[in-house]
Amino acid sequence: MTVAEERVQRLHELAREAAAACHDERAKRYVRRARRVAERHRLSLPREFERFTCDRCDAALRPGKNARVRLQDGHVVVTCDCGNQARYPYD
Amino acid sequence: MAVTPETLVRHELVGLDVEVVSASNPDLVGVAGTVVAETTQTLEIERADGTSRVSQVPKAAATFAFDLPDGRTVTVAGERLVARPARRTEQTGDSQWR
Ligand SMILES: [Zn+2]
Repeated sequence: MTVAEERVQRLHELAREAAAACHDERAKRYVRRARRVAERHRLSLPREFERFTCDRCDAALRPGKNARVRLQDGHVVVTCDCGNQARYPYD
Repeated sequence: MAVTPETLVRHELVGLDVEVVSASNPDLVGVAGTVVAETTQTLEIERADGTSRVSQVPKAAATFAFDLPDGRTVTVAGERLVARPARRTEQTGDSQWR
C-alpha cells in the first residue's frame, strides 16, 4: 500500500471520528483533503468513502448522526443533513 | 507503508500526537497535543493540557517531536514540512506523474 492510499484511508477514519465528535468543519476539511490526495495520485476512492461522504457539502456521513439511510425498491437513499440525496442500487 | 520515520514527512500528520520542542516564538515551545489541521505554512495543534485550545504553529520556525502509532518518537525540523498538505505525499516519486 502506498503512502497516498494509506493517507486517503487515514483521512477517512479521521473524518468519521471528527463527525462523531461534532467537529463538522474539521470533518469536511479531512474529506476534501482525502479527495485531493486521491486526485493528485490518480487513485479511485474506496467505495465506502464514496458512499458515505456528501457530494455537495463534503460531510463525512454517519447514519443516525448526520445522515438518513432509507431502503426502497431497487435502491438505497442516503440523505445528508444538507439535503443532498444519493441513490445506490442493490447489487 | 505505515507511518515511519522515513515516510513521516510525506504522510498524514493530522491525528498524530506532537510536541513543539523548539520554536522561534518562545510561547510555542512545549505546546503538546494532537494535530487537528494543516495548512501550507502551519500546523494547528489541539492542546492536551485540558484547555483544548488550538495553537497555530508556523512550520518553518519550529521543531516538532511526533509520536508515531508504533510508539516511536520522531523529531522533525519544521522546514521539511513546509508544503501544501496534499502535495507533500508527492515529493519522492511515489506518484505516477512527474
Ligand atoms: Zn451534504
